Amino acid sequence: MSQLDWIILVVTLLAIISYGLYKSRTSHNLDGYFLSNRSMPWGLVLLSIMGTQASAITFLSAPGQAYTDGMRFVQYYFGLPLAMVVICIFFVPIFHKLKVYTAYEYLENRFDNKTRTLTSFLFLLQRGLSTGISVFAPSIILSSLFGWNIYYTNILMGGLLIIYTMSGGAKAVAYTQQLQLIIIFTGMFLAAYMVVNMLPKNVSFTDALEVSGKLGKLNVITTGFEGGKFNWSDQYNLLSGLIGGFFLALSYFGTDQSQVGRYLTARSLRESRVGLLMNGLVKVPMQFAILLIGALVFTFYQFNKAPIFFNDIQISKLEQSPVYKDSFALARQQYDELTLQKQQAVLAYTSANKETTTSSLEQLRALQSKSDSLRGKVKDWLNTKEVGGDGNDTNYIFLRFVVDYLPAGLVGLLIAIIFLASWGSIAAAINSLASCSMVDFHKRFTRKKETGEDEYQLSKWYTLAWGIFCIVVAMFTYNIGNSLIEAVNILGSLFYGVILGVFLVAFFLKKIRRGDVVFWSALLAEVLVITVFILTRQGVFKMGFLWLNPIGAFGVVLFSLLLNKLVPSKK
Amino acid sequence: MDLYDDDKTPLFKNWGSWYVFIIGFLLVQIVLFYFFTKRFS
Repeated sequence: MSQLDWIILVVTLLAIISYGLYKSRTSHNLDGYFLSNRSMPWGLVLLSIMGTQASAITFLSAPGQAYTDGMRFVQYYFGLPLAMVVICIFFVPIFHKLKVYTAYEYLENRFDNKTRTLTSFLFLLQRGLSTGISVFAPSIILSSLFGWNIYYTNILMGGLLIIYTMSGGAKAVAYTQQLQLIIIFTGMFLAAYMVVNMLPKNVSFTDALEVSGKLGKLNVITTGFEGGKFNWSDQYNLLSGLIGGFFLALSYFGTDQSQVGRYLTARSLRESRVGLLMNGLVKVPMQFAILLIGALVFTFYQFNKAPIFFNDIQISKLEQSPVYKDSFALARQQYDELTLQKQQAVLAYTSANKETTTSSLEQLRALQSKSDSLRGKVKDWLNTKEVGGDGNDTNYIFLRFVVDYLPAGLVGLLIAIIFLASWGSIAAAINSLASCSMVDFHKRFTRKKETGEDEYQLSKWYTLAWGIFCIVVAMFTYNIGNSLIEAVNILGSLFYGVILGVFLVAFFLKKIRRGDVVFWSALLAEVLVITVFILTRQGVFKMGFLWLNPIGAFGVVLFSLLLNKLVPSKK
Repeated sequence: MDLYDDDKTPLFKNWGSWYVFIIGFLLVQIVLFYFFTKRFS
């Protein structure tokens, strides 16, 4: 990175911390610290919801996903607007009416303390671990690209935000997220402009889309049907996005305190609703735009030399492998030759007339297929026991492009964006972890009488403790390796469905009033979800992880109906 | 559950219209994405 990049990076990060501290003044009680005195307008609620959901990986991984797999990942978000509507109708009015601090508080009202404690515990477990990974995931990417020490990068990534999150609670989180998103969108817009601008002079934006589309990267809508049969292991298609994505978004926005805590800060029910509904409007187009950047980066690499694999550290593992170093050297040579041929073919295609278009397109597709096959081989070699590497470079593609091709200054801004996107989601997560620890456990189980000031001070300590916990998880993640990242990505789907199921019973099955029934149903459904997950991992049957959400949710509902009938109530 | 509680609705007459608008917008996007996919595939 150049000196200018460093200056932009440091100034941006310091500006966010200072702004967070400046906005930290709030009343010294739980309402002020965790709910900003319920005073936020819908605009801030919207940006806070978006800033909480969009982590660094959202901005790094999505363009890489479009590069490798096409834009079909956008379908993952199709269920979100539907979930926003359901949450606005059923969830938000109840949370506002009861004036709860956490979503799980409502469950004690509806069932019993046991059910509230179980769901809150599942949330703390899942969110605590996944936030640790949210610290680690962008850190390892920056560490790999720039050779930074991973431990210091983790501390920077997860530590600095604790200053303003601890000091200002939900208010500081919301105001910094607002500024963070403005910077993030500006940077992403500039990056998109640069990709198009750096294409050859005679290649228009439509030409770029033609190239990307003809090579399979603009596959926004896919049905998931292959040979007349629905492929259940296909992760992203219209059906899995609408159904699986709906349940995931319903669980995440309706029952995950890191999101519930954002819209509870709204000054009225109306402001909460508008914030959520606007999120339903803008989320899909926003993801489409981010993925489109990836598809355009793919086109850019048709005219320019692309590395065979985007993570240099993994490449060095192959170069040093006694088993694969010769094969890798040959594959790289072939890949570079194919790149030159592809550059000629893509130029021929974009300047071709109608008669020659088909033949040049066929040639381009054939060359792309050979390139993909070579890249596939490299990934397979990396995944072998002999090499022990990570064959997935999706998260590195966009950043590699930024570092290699964008001008000084913009590189610093895009690195700052990674930090800001991480901080936005991590700050909201540790704020919500602290609120559950304080409200669902500390306040619920302690007998000591505490003043508002005592609770405020304790909440700050809980925030600090969870911040440190997440950094510690990030440190351990490095020692355990990459497999844990994948596992924790699925962690949400392992627990979300069950938590959602408990809320569905609470909202829609009014005849079920016994806490015991719901508590045991939730445990049984959790066992069911974990069993299904293990069976899919062992290859007994194939199924995308998004389907675990409806299984968990309907599991709780069905077990509750069954147990409510079968188990006699205590008199 | 009262879908149209007394919470004042911005822009539309009631919250029901908002919900229809959100779902309609999603459907329009899916249709547009479908034609986008067809056009460039």
